[in-house]
Amino acid sequence: MSAIMECRVLSIQSHVVRGYVGNKSATFPLQVLGFEVDSINSVQFSNHTGYAHWKGQVLTAEELNVLYEGIKLNNVNHYDYILTGYSRDISFLETVVDIIKELKKANPSLVYVCDPVMGDQGAMYVPENLLPVYKNKVVPLADILTPNQFEAELLTGRKINTEEDAIEVMDLLHKMGPETVVLTSTDLPSKQGDQFLVALGSQKIKKPDGTNTDQKICMDIPKVDAVFVGTGDLFAAMMLAWTHHHPKDLKTACEKTVSVMHHVIKRTITYANEMAGPGKRPTPAQLELRMVQSKADIENPTIVVEAKVLQKSSQ
Amino acid sequence: PSPHPPSLTAMECRVLSIQSHVVRGYVGNKSASFPLQLLGFEVDSINSVQFSNHTGYSHWKGQVLTADELHVLYEGIKLNNVHHYDYVLTGYTRDTSFLEMVVDIVQELKRANPNLVYVCDPVLGDHGSMYVPQNLYPVYKNKVVPVADIITPNQFEAELLTGKNISTEKDAVEVMDLLHAMGPDTVVITSSDLPSRLGDRFLVSLGSQRHVRPDGSRTTQRVRLEVPKVDAVFVGTGDLFAAMLLAWTHHYPTDLKTACEKTFSVMHHVIQRTISYAHELAGPGRRPSPPQLELRMVQSKADIEDPAIVTEATVIS
Repeated sequence: MSAIMECRVLSIQSHVVRGYVGNKSATFPLQVLGFEVDSINSVQFSNHTGYAHWKGQVLTAEELNVLYEGIKLNNVNHYDYILTGYSRDISFLETVVDIIKELKKANPSLVYVCDPVMGDQGAMYVPENLLPVYKNKVVPLADILTPNQFEAELLTGRKINTEEDAIEVMDLLHKMGPETVVLTSTDLPSKQGDQFLVALGSQKIKKPDGTNTDQKICMDIPKVDAVFVGTGDLFAAMMLAWTHHHPKDLKTACEKTVSVMHHVIKRTITYANEMAGPGKRPTPAQLELRMVQSKADIENPTIVVEAKVLQKSSQ
Repeated sequence: PSPHPPSLTAMECRVLSIQSHVVRGYVGNKSASFPLQLLGFEVDSINSVQFSNHTGYSHWKGQVLTADELHVLYEGIKLNNVHHYDYVLTGYTRDTSFLEMVVDIVQELKRANPNLVYVCDPVLGDHGSMYVPQNLYPVYKNKVVPVADIITPNQFEAELLTGKNISTEKDAVEVMDLLHAMGPDTVVITSSDLPSRLGDRFLVSLGSQRHVRPDGSRTTQRVRLEVPKVDAVFVGTGDLFAAMLLAWTHHYPTDLKTACEKTFSVMHHVIQRTISYAHELAGPGRRPSPPQLELRMVQSKADIEDPAIVTEATVIS
């Protein structure tokens, strides 16, 4: 019998009535893996904003504070992990920062997993004034960061054209705060051809003798011919889970995370194409992640991607 | 006929659950969603409130959704033409206009899918007193219960809705028949004061399900269960019960005996696990606190997926 984990996550993300983004994307998989998930819904929308229509309400920074106060008044403001993702509001993000600082005081071992969602493919899709908040306040508190290439470049002011650039950018991000950085996708050419994208990761590890070392890895990930929403949220949640089980082994944590993504995406794309019919592009509604159907893969992902360990360097 | 084990077939079954959300703990949608998802249901959830935790703690804070805001969310779903559900599930509500909006939504969803099953926990009160505003009572009686297909009242709620007291099993059967006449084909009185055959450590639950046979004639299956009492106040168990009754009546649509055995058995496993853990946390001789008594939901995954039957239902005439 496996041991019962006592691990509590506070996840502050969007809620959609239908579909899988934000907390809807993160919660079920983490619960399936035995994590207690407390969730603050930063918005409640009918569905994600990639559909033809969407409607709903947002939580203000003040309301977020009120919810946190309730938790605190009951003296249950004790968490092992915090998880955040897509945010559009500076004052909301700043309140999140205050909450994290307080939770870290309550538990110095707390791990903050942060997806610094700002944009992709060279363009920002959140208000520009979030960048300084991420750069100066959020990322310094983060322990695990999951930027894409664009976000990593934005945060460090450095472009990534080669693998060496990517390594330098990850080292710059380490200096800003997080000990674990995963570049979830890049434009770097893959050795396996143009049907693959390159992802990289870097983790600083303290050796027993007190010196630092780091593990750097890279992975070739099959591209998919579809636009998914919510995959980044699932990725960050699964990184949380698998780094929890493999805290000093980024290679394994990433292989499991990327493999889960692969299984969920494959199942989703097969189903979406079935629903759409031959020769038709699936709709956003049809492309919703097949989350509940992927339970077995989430619990115990078969490894389908191998991460390569890059030359280690010691300091 | 036994159905496919839930794990082998990808069910395409979508539930709209309109219940509370708590940041911490397991009530409302937090209590219903995970178990239903584990059992393969797609769960769309509208959070009627967002509170830090349930109101049994020393403190609670948060925000409520207005009837208008509920309507706006539903409009979003409708505009995308995805307002097609197999089930609707509702529970604890405090607001009349909110409840009336829920009824409008259920009626529209039933027009979109005439096979839709509305599972309704008519939360009004317990142990002889109401714990929602009194003016919800006529809304439940005249508008909600008539559109419900499965209801899960406790004894107090069943008596309130029918105006009839339950002192004997015969009374309970009559009350369930009265409830059938109001609308729902499936009624489960989740708990009652009736004396149990197994002694005072047990409470009695009853269920009744109406079917129409292929030849058009009507039949009613009635069951009775002796359910072990627990010496603790749980919150969220009713929400879990309604969700699991949804799941198990889905798999056993004409076999209320089995659906109830599975549902009550899941409850038993979750509650036992919770109470053991709560006592461990509280320490010897101390009463566990509300946070300590939160249902051990994620830890009960295996029991939810495949509950070992611990309680047998008796078929009564």
